[in-house]
Amino acid sequence: MEQPYVEEDLKRDRHPTDKKKGFSRYLKFYMIPGWRHPDFTATEYEIDRTKSRRRLFRRLLKPLTIAGMVMILFIAVLGVFSPWLTPFTIEHLVPPDFLPETPYLQPSPLHPLGTTRYGFDILGRLIWGSRTALTAAALPVIIGTIGGLAVGTISAYFGGKVDALIMRFCDFWFAFPVLILVIIVAPMIGNSLYNILILFGLFGIPGSTRWVRALVLQVKQNVYVRAAITSGAEKFKVMFKHVLPNAISPIIIGFFGAMGGAILGFVGIAFLGLGDEQFSDWGTDIQYGRGQWGAYYAVFWPGLFIAITAIGFMLIGDGLRDALDPRLHL
Amino acid sequence: MSRQARNMIKYIIKRILLMFPILIAVLIFTWVLSNMMSVDPILNKIPGNIIDPERYEQELRKAGFWDPWYVKLGIYLGRFFSGDWGESFLLAERTKVITFISEIFPKTIELMIFSIIIVPIIAVKFGVTSARHKDKPRDTLIRGMAILGAGFPIFYIATLVQLFVGLTLRTFTHELIFLEVLYPNNPVLDSPVPAGGVGTGFRLIDSVFYNSQIYLWDTLVHLILPVFCMIFVSLSGVTRQTRSSMLGVLDQDYIRTARAKGVMEKDVINKHALRNAILPTSHLVIGGTAGALLGSLFVEVTFNYTGFGYNMYSAIIAGDYLVINGLLVFSTIIIISGTLVADVAYTIIDPRIMY
Repeated sequence: MEQPYVEEDLKRDRHPTDKKKGFSRYLKFYMIPGWRHPDFTATEYEIDRTKSRRRLFRRLLKPLTIAGMVMILFIAVLGVFSPWLTPFTIEHLVPPDFLPETPYLQPSPLHPLGTTRYGFDILGRLIWGSRTALTAAALPVIIGTIGGLAVGTISAYFGGKVDALIMRFCDFWFAFPVLILVIIVAPMIGNSLYNILILFGLFGIPGSTRWVRALVLQVKQNVYVRAAITSGAEKFKVMFKHVLPNAISPIIIGFFGAMGGAILGFVGIAFLGLGDEQFSDWGTDIQYGRGQWGAYYAVFWPGLFIAITAIGFMLIGDGLRDALDPRLHL
Repeated sequence: MSRQARNMIKYIIKRILLMFPILIAVLIFTWVLSNMMSVDPILNKIPGNIIDPERYEQELRKAGFWDPWYVKLGIYLGRFFSGDWGESFLLAERTKVITFISEIFPKTIELMIFSIIIVPIIAVKFGVTSARHKDKPRDTLIRGMAILGAGFPIFYIATLVQLFVGLTLRTFTHELIFLEVLYPNNPVLDSPVPAGGVGTGFRLIDSVFYNSQIYLWDTLVHLILPVFCMIFVSLSGVTRQTRSSMLGVLDQDYIRTARAKGVMEKDVINKHALRNAILPTSHLVIGGTAGALLGSLFVEVTFNYTGFGYNMYSAIIAGDYLVINGLLVFSTIIIISGTLVADVAYTIIDPRIMY
């Protein structure tokens, strides 16, 4: 007996004994409010799955991540165009120069957010401070990550005595509270901005070393690494060409999260009065206006900007984590 | 005694023995640091800071300035282990550093004990709720709070809360709600311990023992805001950690199996999921406790709470190098023993871990 509908129905992924057409078969269910055709749902699910798997950017562009990017973009724009955004030059906003203004003025057309100690314009210090903030976020993390990458890879790859030595040093270093150590050491070597940032970076190396070492040890188990060694590749080539590129994705994710932490740490140092007065810096602003209860805006705005930067970096880090490596717990 | 328990004790003894090399390395490091400090220790010791060259040289010789470095280091280590950590010469004049630490440390414990107890309880609850209702309003609310706590600097929150409670609330309620948070403790209420009495150093405990309720209220009022700030900030980290590890566990097959075979949702969450998700959180909590015992520097500085962190800060600013040294060594000892406790606690939380 002929079955003319078989081919067509197989194409539609329907059982051949099911004689009714789609619409008439599900006709009675269309009366139920909120009911959907199963084929339609299945197709939609299929599209969603392939779509979300295919494109990194589609997974990256969640609302929260976009919000984070907008925040960082805002701060970056302030930093790049700061000479054009405020009539004050940086020389008029740092201590050696004293304007004839009274400190802690109320907001006025000349000073839209009021003035802080020594009569510096708050808005001007905010705008110029974004440069300091972005530097403070980037530099320690770059130093820490690159140092950690180099030392951690060497430690994991060579193993043996080198590994033991480096790991004992890390154990020793973890016994210290890092922030207190920075506060102690920074005045010794002169607390200029770059000294503090480099110190932060150097003190962060042991932490990232231990992390990178764990990642590299995982990758080292793979077959292609052993194949490369067997076929006679040099040690450094295997290390930096085969092992490292495969361990790099969690490191990139961790990079952004660490930037949020780095800026909070640096602002904390500045808040304690150990920052560099030659740069406009939000932490110093909060330290200036701390006891001035009548001029709360001298504290309110810098803190808000710190939070915008830190939260922006954290949101981007979270978004990258969800997009690249959802199983990773940071 | 079972084999596992014996292994455990062996492991603990091994770890305690391993602490000594690290401690000595820490001591040498702090010694190098204090040698690098640019403070002149002798000038501050001479009363009136009069520079009399002969007297100055005499003092230097007495302090062993021209000794070779290994003699200095040997004396330093020997005195450290015999309990002589030097004297403070600026913060609390002519007070031994050990006495000084024993005076200030109870205050920090008093501040931190609330957040140490409350934070894990609330944060784990928040994290579980947030993971169960993923992408729902409740989740969004909790995540938003967590990211606010993580993103705003702690001293900023502290300053704003101080301003709000101390000034705004007082003004707007016509002093109906008036907490004296902007003022220091009442100087009349110096200590609840009567003359000749024995005190513990903990102000709350003392005031309960000696039944001085005015003093108790005075202490409590000054504790509310710092404790609130500590809780708010440390809440965020634990909540985020619990949420992410909980999300990872809830995806697993055995959770679906448990639900399929009809286990109550309460038990699925509390027994199947939470017990597997709690390990990274417990790492954060127990490891963070050691750090929390040292006090948050920023909270103590913002509220002028004279605990561990505040005195560390003022010692660094003033250059009281023996106090800095003592506090740094003390904090490393606490951190080292904290990691030991954490490692031992893992075996209780997760019986699969064996040493």
